Amino acid sequence: MSSKGSSLIEAKKLCKSYFNEGLETPVLFDIDLTINSGEFVAIMGPSGSGKSTLMHILGFLDHFTSGSYLFHDEPVLRMNDDDLAKIRATRVSFVFQAFNLLPRTSVLENVLLPLLYHPTIAASERMDRAMKAIATVGLTDRAKYLSNQLSGGQKQRVAIARALVTEPEVIFADEPTGNLDSVSGRQVMEAVQQLHEHGHTIILVTHERTTAEHAERIIHIRDGRIQEDTKSFKRRLAKEASTLAK
Amino acid sequence: MLPEDLIGVSVQGLKRNISRSLLTTLGIIIGVGSVVLMVSIGASFQQYILDQVSQFGQNTFEIQAKGLEQQGQPTQAITFGDVEAVRKLSTVQSVAPVIFVTERVAYGEEELTPFVFATTKELFDNWGFQPQLGRLFTDADIQSASNVAVLGGLAVDELFPNEDPIGKRITIGARKFTVVGVLEELGSPLAQTLDSSVYMPLSVGKSMMGSSLYVDYISLKSRGSNDLTKADLESLFRQRHSIVNPENDPEKDDVVVRSMEQAVSVISSVTLGMTIFLGLIAGISLLVGGIGIMNIMLVSVSERTKEIGLRKAVGAKKQDILLQFLLEAITLTVIGGLIGVLCGAGLAYLLYLIARQFLQDLPFALSMSAILLSVSMAAGTGLAFGIYPARKAANLSPMEALRWE
Ligand SMILES: Nc1ncnc2c1ncn2[C@@H]1O[C@H](COP(=O)(O)OP(=O)(O)O)[C@@H](O)[C@H]1O
Ligand SMILES: [Mg+2]
Repeated sequence: MSSKGSSLIEAKKLCKSYFNEGLETPVLFDIDLTINSGEFVAIMGPSGSGKSTLMHILGFLDHFTSGSYLFHDEPVLRMNDDDLAKIRATRVSFVFQAFNLLPRTSVLENVLLPLLYHPTIAASERMDRAMKAIATVGLTDRAKYLSNQLSGGQKQRVAIARALVTEPEVIFADEPTGNLDSVSGRQVMEAVQQLHEHGHTIILVTHERTTAEHAERIIHIRDGRIQEDTKSFKRRLAKEASTLAK
Repeated sequence: MLPEDLIGVSVQGLKRNISRSLLTTLGIIIGVGSVVLMVSIGASFQQYILDQVSQFGQNTFEIQAKGLEQQGQPTQAITFGDVEAVRKLSTVQSVAPVIFVTERVAYGEEELTPFVFATTKELFDNWGFQPQLGRLFTDADIQSASNVAVLGGLAVDELFPNEDPIGKRITIGARKFTVVGVLEELGSPLAQTLDSSVYMPLSVGKSMMGSSLYVDYISLKSRGSNDLTKADLESLFRQRHSIVNPENDPEKDDVVVRSMEQAVSVISSVTLGMTIFLGLIAGISLLVGGIGIMNIMLVSVSERTKEIGLRKAVGAKKQDILLQFLLEAITLTVIGGLIGVLCGAGLAYLLYLIARQFLQDLPFALSMSAILLSVSMAAGTGLAFGIYPARKAANLSPMEALRWE
């Protein structure tokens, strides 16, 4: 993992339009954004403002229309399909709002899935890693359950286990608590918080203030543009406290 | 991705979509199985009929007056002079003239109206008859015009259901005949008429039919090439009957010269037609199976497209996806094709065992080309509709695939 503080993600004038049957829907406009390694960033904004679209682009899941995106100073536009697949396999992972687990497949197999495509993790290590990831989200006793035999909160925790099993640098989480009750939501956020403490860069979409308060930095998006980019209140308090102490 | 992982992923994919897998396999089994079955039935009968016909000997010829051939009426086109001329041809051997005696045959209470052949001993040789009891005609029987009769293997059962026929006196028309021999059955359905017939010396038949100067039929064997023999016979009859026919128009001839070989090729073209017809019917079920496969594959495209999106999202390369789907499709089509061939062949064999109760010499035939053709058509459909959507999905970005409806 690269040292904390260096630039991990650098977007310049990033634009995205969807095209459906020749109809253009512009969604993101001139997004300028830099995120450093080790940061915990929350993205907030009203529904339909383009948060998911931005996450998908930054998470290597979708194309952008114009502008540039540098990942570790490498221009993403110059990467070919296999380069992108390798980054998805090793350096980033994604927690979807809609879980996106493989249907009719066990928790264990869902968590093992990214390891099948990982170029360096040995086959003999997979089972240990998967069980460890499942333990991290507290689902050890559910490892053999099929994905459709789980509650929403459990499904989301499986998705988190799947995201952290390869120990990627960056974890993107798109409203991971959006479909959950407050108890499950709190459990999921604790898991995310732990990941951050272990040095992973976390980029999280949420529209709940309390969830965003876990982050060090909050980016507000409205109508496809960044409106505000601030250190979080708690974080500011902590900083100010430490300055005062000096 | 490791090869063993690829296999694991494909097996998992087939299991997770178990009903899709089973239905696809079933489609292939039905399509392939019915083609193999139908074509096997056709090919077995074709082989059977060819075997039966060729039993008579490929170098056997028959010459018939056209009237008899076409209207079932005895005619007077072939004279004894013609027979002697035929006998002198160097391309001909074993000539047996035949007069059909249209009389009843009776023994005690039993009465039959079989074909009664008045002929010479060469006829038995030409048709491959062996005596089962007693003896065949001798030249002496013919010269002395003795009233002796030889019975076909089926005719004897009707006239003498529980008696030894040898030495018994039967009535043909107004004359009494002594039964001197019984023929071994030829057994084939094609030879049923010959097995049911009664045979007497040519000289006797000639006098019974009013000292006829004509014969109805000649059986002979060619010596050497069938084509030469046929040409010789045709030109002989044209010359003797003063028919000018340099263009070889069969319409103009008054006799029909036909070799068994020719009959075989006519019959085999008929049975080939039957096989093709059965194959076409089976082809329809292959098509239906194919449409089934197509539907099942296409119905599951949206779920599988999402799966592809997810796999790509967690790091699968395009090649990983394509290989997985290729392997899944190959597994289904190979399993389906194998079971289909086995089922089709097994069912064909079962039918063959049943049919053999009625046709003893029926062979069992499978058509390799039908197997290859049907398996490759089914496999082609399975592969095309298994891989094409996967290929399309693998070219999408992960999100485009995950959003698929
Ligand atoms: N595949 C798509 N095709 C067309 N428009 C889309 C598509 N996905 C999202 N949009 C539009 O883009 C806008 C932003 O969507 P999204 O990024 O999902 O917003 P958010 O996550 O902030 O709610 C919305 O107006 C939405 O209708
Ligand atoms: Mg969203």
